[in-house]
Amino acid sequence: MNKTQNNLRLLPRRFKKAAFSLIALTIFFVVLIFSEFVTVEKELAKTVTSSGILLSFLLLALTRDKVEDELTLIIRLKALAASFIYGVGYVVISPFVNLLFDGEFINDEMGTEGLLLTMFLFYFGMLWLMKKNR
Amino acid sequence: MQNRLKIERAIKNLTQDDLAKLIGVSRQTINSIEKGRYVPSTVLALKISEIFDKPVNEIFELEDTD
Repeated sequence: MNKTQNNLRLLPRRFKKAAFSLIALTIFFVVLIFSEFVTVEKELAKTVTSSGILLSFLLLALTRDKVEDELTLIIRLKALAASFIYGVGYVVISPFVNLLFDGEFINDEMGTEGLLLTMFLFYFGMLWLMKKNR
Repeated sequence: MQNRLKIERAIKNLTQDDLAKLIGVSRQTINSIEKGRYVPSTVLALKISEIFDKPVNEIFELEDTD
């Protein structure tokens, strides 16, 4: 039997700790900047913060749960598909919404990082919802 | 797909958690199968049939709508 067929090559559970540590570190960095202990260029601070959050979210998304079985695999793939559809929908629909409401509802400067961040949040939300209702 | 998982489990006096541990899945997966919300893979169905020592088609049954 092909073992990889019903299995995603997910990271061991210890990576969850690494992801949360990275989030904590990023938040600490943001606090340092806001409290003006450290003076960093605005663009650099933005890049470091978004990279830290995105990397930690990626680690969280790729780390296995306590019990991983075929149902959780299906749930993961459905949540991933939903977040992809959300991403495409956002990119396609946002220009029209901006056109209609003069950019009042959707921030045009969200950029790639913002889109990926909301896609991750959408993925985690869907994953949680589907796990709760399985 | 209909199944007799709950009945077979009761006969063997197994909880959902016991069965889940025996076949290496989560308790929620067993619950979803029993409620008919999830149709297990062939591998999982065979594992279940092995636990109850019965053929797969005695535990799982196709419905007219399947």
